[in-house]
Amino acid sequence: MSNLKTTLAGYITYRGREGHWSFLLHRITGLGVVLFLTIHIIDIAFVYFNPDLFMKAIEIYRSTLFGIGEIFLVFCVFYHGVNGLRIAYLDLFKPQGWHVESQRRSARWTLTIALILWLPSAFWMLRNLLMHNYGLFGG
Amino acid sequence: MASFTQTLRRVRVKPNYETIAWKWMRYSAFAMIPLVWGHMILQDVIVGVHRIDLDYVAMRWASLFWRIYDALLLGFAFAHGVNGLRQVLNNFIHGDRARKVMNWLLFLFWLVITLIGGAALIAGVNRAFPLP
Repeated sequence: MSNLKTTLAGYITYRGREGHWSFLLHRITGLGVVLFLTIHIIDIAFVYFNPDLFMKAIEIYRSTLFGIGEIFLVFCVFYHGVNGLRIAYLDLFKPQGWHVESQRRSARWTLTIALILWLPSAFWMLRNLLMHNYGLFGG
Repeated sequence: MASFTQTLRRVRVKPNYETIAWKWMRYSAFAMIPLVWGHMILQDVIVGVHRIDLDYVAMRWASLFWRIYDALLLGFAFAHGVNGLRQVLNNFIHGDRARKVMNWLLFLFWLVITLIGGAALIAGVNRAFPLP
């Protein structure tokens, strides 16, 4: 139990600015994606193991609550991907590029790029959601 | 002032499991950008969950290309995800014994879910063909 407290306190009180925020965002988005991915593999497996249950799962995914969750999921995947590329590129090909100053800028750019990638998708998914669940936009 | 000569010795360290896992997380990232983003943009944004049903999955898996695509997704993404989860848990679980148990549980978790997903991917949609 003390492990949990110490580690969590470290996660929160560490003051590394951009590096800290991107570490936390990478963790949270990664955990979110792996949680969904586990559920997703199982629900897709229902097409063989129990097709009726597959359609039940799809119905749940079509609900407004899950629709909003899906929009956030897409952000998680975009952010985790862009930040993962930054980490992979630096670690594998340019380890001397890990400088606090340049990486502060780089962390901000990572978030900006992820948001730019996400916004059109989020807009379109929100439109689909409003169309199918609320009959807007001629749905 | 004394002068120093620097001697560099290159050492080849045999990669252990953690080194391989570390590299895997990074190399798989490059493969997963097109795989995962492509899958997500196609299914969540362009097609959308309201148009996904058994017919759609059956139609999609009628193509070998998409089955291989999904097999790659399953193989890369889930292994990456479970290893990531292991790294997070390593921050919280410190004892040798506890870590050993955790590693085995995570391995079993990965294996079972991957087998379930792989079985469905090979077997396909469970109903009579041709489709009505």
